[in-house]
Amino acid sequence: MKKSVWGKSLIGAAAVLVGLTLAACGNSNSSSKSSTSDKKVTITFWHGMNGPYKTALDGIIADFNKSQSKYVVKGTAQGNYTALQQKIMAGAKSKSLPTMAQTTYTTVPDYVSNGFITPLDPYMLKGSDKLSQSSLKDIYPAFISSSKYQGKYYSMPFSKSTRIMYYQPALMKKLGVNKVPTSWEELQTLGQTLKSKGVAAVGFDASFDMELEALARQNGNALVSKDLKANLNSKKTLQVTNMIFNMLQDGEAKTAGEDIYGDKNFTSGKTLFYIGSSAGVSSMQQNAPKGFDWNTTTVPSYKGKKATELAGNDLVMFKSASTDQQKGAWAFMKFLTSKKETIKWAEKTGYVPLRKSAVEDSAFQSYLKQHEVNKAAVDSLDAGFQSTAFKGFTEYRNDLLDAVDSMTTKHTKPADAMGALQKKTETILKDAK
Amino acid sequence: MLNEKPTLKSSLKAYLYLLPMLVISLVFNIWPIISSLLMSLYTKYNFYTDKVSAMGLDNFLYLWNDPDFHLAVRNTLIFVAGVVPITVVLSLVIALLLNQIKWLSGFFRTVYFLPFVTSTVAIAMVWNWIYHSDYGLMNYFMSLVGLHPINWLTDPHWSLLALIIMSIWKNLGFNIILFLVGLNNIDKGYYQAAEIDGANAWQRFWNVTIPMISPITFLVSVNGVIGSFKVFDQIFALFQGTPGPGKADLTIVYYLYEKFYTEYKYPIAAASGVVLFVLILLVTLVQLWYSRKHVHY
Repeated sequence: MKKSVWGKSLIGAAAVLVGLTLAACGNSNSSSKSSTSDKKVTITFWHGMNGPYKTALDGIIADFNKSQSKYVVKGTAQGNYTALQQKIMAGAKSKSLPTMAQTTYTTVPDYVSNGFITPLDPYMLKGSDKLSQSSLKDIYPAFISSSKYQGKYYSMPFSKSTRIMYYQPALMKKLGVNKVPTSWEELQTLGQTLKSKGVAAVGFDASFDMELEALARQNGNALVSKDLKANLNSKKTLQVTNMIFNMLQDGEAKTAGEDIYGDKNFTSGKTLFYIGSSAGVSSMQQNAPKGFDWNTTTVPSYKGKKATELAGNDLVMFKSASTDQQKGAWAFMKFLTSKKETIKWAEKTGYVPLRKSAVEDSAFQSYLKQHEVNKAAVDSLDAGFQSTAFKGFTEYRNDLLDAVDSMTTKHTKPADAMGALQKKTETILKDAK
Repeated sequence: MLNEKPTLKSSLKAYLYLLPMLVISLVFNIWPIISSLLMSLYTKYNFYTDKVSAMGLDNFLYLWNDPDFHLAVRNTLIFVAGVVPITVVLSLVIALLLNQIKWLSGFFRTVYFLPFVTSTVAIAMVWNWIYHSDYGLMNYFMSLVGLHPINWLTDPHWSLLALIIMSIWKNLGFNIILFLVGLNNIDKGYYQAAEIDGANAWQRFWNVTIPMISPITFLVSVNGVIGSFKVFDQIFALFQGTPGPGKADLTIVYYLYEKFYTEYKYPIAAASGVVLFVLILLVTLVQLWYSRKHVHY
């Protein structure tokens, strides 16, 4: 009796220990296996795509795997972007990063300083598989310029969207508006007349930070300049901040609040126009009430200048991957950004094509003719810009969102909110330098 | 068996039985606590290579000077003070009522227990609709009694209350079950004795029920305090990844999350965790000290 109790408990304890050691070894095994199995090199790819986006991406991955015999790309959806960031952090800590991943270009400086990612230059600019000079120039400058950090290319643009303006022709007619405004000046005058009819001229998402950034550029300064100078309470920035703030206070503009995205206010006729992401086109197609009349156009100009903030994700390559894996990852990045694939990606998802030649392509042009709502995003590309990325960007962005939030929910005066933001940002930038 | 004297062999055997649990709690509880305590002292630190270049108390100084952290502590304290007492009283009342009825009591128990087993994200999505300023049920019911609609989720004055209401509702189920167990364990003899002595219903409740379920009340309030101090997922889900309008729902754990995951300030996140640990420890010690006098086992 006694013996068997001893035996059982020993077996139990042994089982627990074995389980724990197995769990601990799990990670190291999988990463060393990848380069030796078969002859093909496995490229692990973490991304944050869901639903129809994931289906489109899986299709492109399958195409790539069929197109050549050296590499196999294994894509893993990690949930949304936030979850993806957290997985990358955990992967870096536990030394189990994939070969490549999707990430926003604004995290690049932090990833570089932590030593996660490696420049693409050895594969992109040199060697047999490099991008030709003309091919590099074919990619829209706004996309490729944000790929460069400290003089080296660290990322390739991939899933990119622009800000566009949605409008409703039927409601315009009803309200006696006969022309879609092309400038903020027109939008403001329109706001004053529409206010009395109980409709806000323009709707934003819960936060108007991207519109603010575009307006600041249109007014002549970036919120954070290339040489890392903060212009958050400069005269030019405050002028446009006051403009949006006053429009919101007067009921000429409306933020989405708890709806997060402004499409609900737009489809329910609370706002006549809505400035939002071009990635929202597909969800608008799905969610808008039947027979709802809407179209898209580029965002309004300000003082005669056009600007629209490009958002979305890039692809990066991790230092921990083997040289063969890195070569394969580059081959895959090149494949993804090729003219043919970027058109396919754009048509299936509503993200914008990355290459000028893709936009000029006759097949794509005829696609745009059939899908009129997707045209505005493509038309915006020439005026596209991206924020300046620096180490500590995510912290700065948190602070920017806080400042915008306190103006919308607490009605903090722009000078106070932006003044506080300027101070915080200066501290972050000092650390970044 | 119970009266056996401990020998080396029997002690070893006991430890062997305890071993699996010990290993698990050492690996997943004790070690993380120690390492985050240490991490809170690292002032120059690379999280990924684990290289520590300097140590000190700078991280705590940072918290001391950070208005956001003060706000987080304040909001957390308000949240705990708002949620715990109401949860305890309300779940006791509901448990008493459930204990009175025979008919459908199983059904009602299930109804009250449902929020506890439903995922927080699902609950928050439902409450998101309930609180919606234009289409929400909450404002609809308020309009029925002539109250003005409130922007529950976008007005900094109301959003913490919105969170408190949702959390109370979510916590009720489990506490009701605990109270029901406590109520059923009271010997009927006490009530009969009290009745013979001429005690009315209120006196029986106050002098028999309350003292007899005091261990459960203690358990529920300690659990509630600890759980409420750690509030995070409700906020993240209800306000869709933000700490509420104007940071009105920023709590200590949300602060920790922001520092850790979005600002990459690992040692500061660890330091805020240590502060939370100390706060919970203090409150729990006070509760323990109070329970010595007022809880009857």
